[in-house]
Amino acid sequence: MLNRRAFLRAAGLGAAGSLAVACTPIYRELAGDTAESGDFTETPLSDFRALSRMTFGARFVDRQFVLMHGLSAWIEEQLDPDTIDDSSVEWRLRSLESLKLPPKDVEAWEENDVVAELSQSAILRATYSNRQLFEVMVRFWSDHFNISVEKGECWLLKPTDEREVIRPHTFGRFEELLGASAHSPAMLVYLDNQANIWEAPNENYAREVLELHTLGVEGGYSQDDVMELARMLTGWRVKEHFWKGEFTFEEDWHDPGVKTFMGDGISPADIREAEAVLLSLANAPSTARHISIKLIRRFVCDDPEHEARELIERAARTFLETRGDIQQVVRLILLDGLSSLPETRLPKFKRPFEYVVSALRLLGADTDGGAPIQEYLRVMGQPLYAWPTPDGPADDASAWVTNLLPRWNFALDLVDGNLEGTEFHPRDFVRSLLDDPSDDSLDRLSHLLIGEGPNQRISDIKFAHLRAGDEEDLVDEAAFLTAAVLLSPEFQWRG
Amino acid sequence: MKKMRVGRRDVLRSGALLGAGAVLPPWMPRMSFTAKNSGIRGDVLVVVFLRGAADGLNMIVPHGEELYYQSRPTLAIPQPDARGSSQNARVIDLDGYFGLHPALRPIFPVWEQGHFIPVIACGAPDESRSHFKAMELMERGLTNERGPASGWIGRHLATLENGNPSPLRAVGFGEAAPRSLHGSIPITALKSITDFHLNGNEAMASRMRSVISSLYTGDQALHQIGRETLSVVDTIEKIYPSADVASSMTDYPETDFGFGLRQIALLIDADVGLEVAALDLGGWDTHFTQGGSEGIMARLLAELGGGLAAFYDQLQDDMDNITVVVMTEFGRRVRENASLGTDHGHGSIMFLMGGNLHGSEVHGVWPGLDEGLLIGPGDLAVTTDYRDVLAEILVKRLHNHDVEAVFPDYVPNIGNVIA
Repeated sequence: MLNRRAFLRAAGLGAAGSLAVACTPIYRELAGDTAESGDFTETPLSDFRALSRMTFGARFVDRQFVLMHGLSAWIEEQLDPDTIDDSSVEWRLRSLESLKLPPKDVEAWEENDVVAELSQSAILRATYSNRQLFEVMVRFWSDHFNISVEKGECWLLKPTDEREVIRPHTFGRFEELLGASAHSPAMLVYLDNQANIWEAPNENYAREVLELHTLGVEGGYSQDDVMELARMLTGWRVKEHFWKGEFTFEEDWHDPGVKTFMGDGISPADIREAEAVLLSLANAPSTARHISIKLIRRFVCDDPEHEARELIERAARTFLETRGDIQQVVRLILLDGLSSLPETRLPKFKRPFEYVVSALRLLGADTDGGAPIQEYLRVMGQPLYAWPTPDGPADDASAWVTNLLPRWNFALDLVDGNLEGTEFHPRDFVRSLLDDPSDDSLDRLSHLLIGEGPNQRISDIKFAHLRAGDEEDLVDEAAFLTAAVLLSPEFQWRG
Repeated sequence: MKKMRVGRRDVLRSGALLGAGAVLPPWMPRMSFTAKNSGIRGDVLVVVFLRGAADGLNMIVPHGEELYYQSRPTLAIPQPDARGSSQNARVIDLDGYFGLHPALRPIFPVWEQGHFIPVIACGAPDESRSHFKAMELMERGLTNERGPASGWIGRHLATLENGNPSPLRAVGFGEAAPRSLHGSIPITALKSITDFHLNGNEAMASRMRSVISSLYTGDQALHQIGRETLSVVDTIEKIYPSADVASSMTDYPETDFGFGLRQIALLIDADVGLEVAALDLGGWDTHFTQGGSEGIMARLLAELGGGLAAFYDQLQDDMDNITVVVMTEFGRRVRENASLGTDHGHGSIMFLMGGNLHGSEVHGVWPGLDEGLLIGPGDLAVTTDYRDVLAEILVKRLHNHDVEAVFPDYVPNIGNVIA
């Protein structure tokens, strides 16, 4: 019942009569109901495109909000996630026990179960959270500070990293996020700092901090700087045994000598050497630029350095002026970069996670985010929490466009009910078709999924096949039609 | 009756979402990039990229070099005649000075046939020691990032007209086609031939097939890719499963890499127009517990050597028309670190396999390991630019003489690796 209602409302298909389902608000809340998806709304395409960049799927309710209050009001609300009720998504996450535990307790679990729960939580939050911009940014930072659970014991450490490093600092100051990541056992293990010791430094983490996390590869550091930072980071380790998975600084492993970093002498000061350097790296102009470029690539365009030079400058300036206040930088990029998205601006291609989640979210599917969904993400090329290299998954179309077949098959499997733990009910879609045989239903479905009416090619499918038949035939037809929109070129874009 | 409505929506519809877009994205195939060359189809080229910067020094081991053993007290591979170590742990001598890591033993018979050769001290001029920058430049075939966004293989295919209409001219094996293939028409990512079909029952799949074909009729790159994907589905439907039988008889490693090689062999065997296949083997970033004769890297080498040997065994009779090249973004530091691993270095190695090589010879110029000869923080120098080797393949085996278009900011020295 839940799904039926959810779908009807999500698709805006339900006549008032067919919605006569009694339910209390608390039930709706607890069930993580997506009925709040809102009624059919025709929005200017530019608003739909902007919303699609900032969410995992712009439901009608979000479009209505923008119609009534404007895009900037929506952005302001989303920038203040604590004011947005999200108890329904917490309810959906309630049974994912391993995510609440410290590493020493996670150790008793099976690796596969922990990774599955972690992935489930990401899918559920992206699909159902009302704090969409926040969740988009969580994924952004989780990719920026990429950790693969397939390396060593990262699987038992990453849930803590997600819970205590990424999420609490997502809208905080970049220097705090970077500092938390540097003290994160998952990161220290993933990039071998665990093995970085006096007289024999291991450069891996030091290099990636400079190249990927802060300054960027053209950010002005040298190989010597990598080696000196590695020396400063000697002794930054993870505890074993009873305190397993906790950060520790071990003086005995720390190189006590004088270091030189980017021209400055660093006097010996144990853990504080690297902490001070990380603080200045976090606020360096190259870092401001590097982070701004990545954020603009996330929200605005694939190639900011050619397409959005001015915006990079403004965002980087805001970054420096606010001492890396992520909220302020994101606000500027969204307001300046998206509020008047020019039609010439190319759409952003959905990465596999965005493709899958937008289908689930917009259709109001009921999913547990379980194994079949996770397997599809892997086959599409974006395994959750298992990107092997520290750069994280690419954020431009060219990395993803060549692998369409698994997307098509996902669409077919979703509507055909072949994904265990995920349900979508075309029957309700059909009922409304029977009630109202005009072509408005297809129009609405198309608006729901791609922000505009169906193009001729999709209309043709409908009129070739949606002839009067018995209801079972129509259910199949409705499922087929939904799949057709999901696998169409138009649905591959984030707007 | 279909209602005709003209309104705001129709205007919006012509916007960027559905329109071709005012600006061509950089990955969009350039139709104007017309082929200057025409020629007969050359070898099937198989490009294996070892991601993570593979330690060339422990693959083709300079066992005649005392400094190698001094620099790597725990990671060095014992000399071919070393006492106190088992035969299986020692270098397999190739020419009295260099030898194979013992885990590469499966490939030794191919070396003896003259169909497998290493090129030592290979690499690129880039000294960033950044995986990502080095890989990107190498796959684009460039010295300077300001060059074309397409990949070197993409430009090779785009500049050579050989009348091959196959949708499978260029295939990236895995979840995505690598950067090196970008810019080519067509380009397909393919993980598994067995799975390369539309799901659902036969009736639904066949109906959806025609729907997809009508949805992807535009001139955007994505539409083109959609059409190519369908035509690959059709092609594979014709050859599978009969073609699968032959390759399942051979012992490939049971890994993604082994599986990928098996798929490539299958397509070559089925003669469906494959010209270039790109395949990755990752995991070479061995900062930590790299191991010597055994361990993490040895297992990767066994996978690499075992895979290549199986591929050779299956396609022995076709080897005159196949060139396999194995490359990596850079090598690793000569001196081992304290984590029983090695940090990012510079010069590394390339391998070639095929029926037209100057075999039984270790190619390349050995720069030496003496203090003054190392570069940067203590890394092997590069004496052969990777593009010298690739350009020789282009000219001698792929009949593409437009080397300048493929490597626009470098003038390769065509060597003598290929017969």
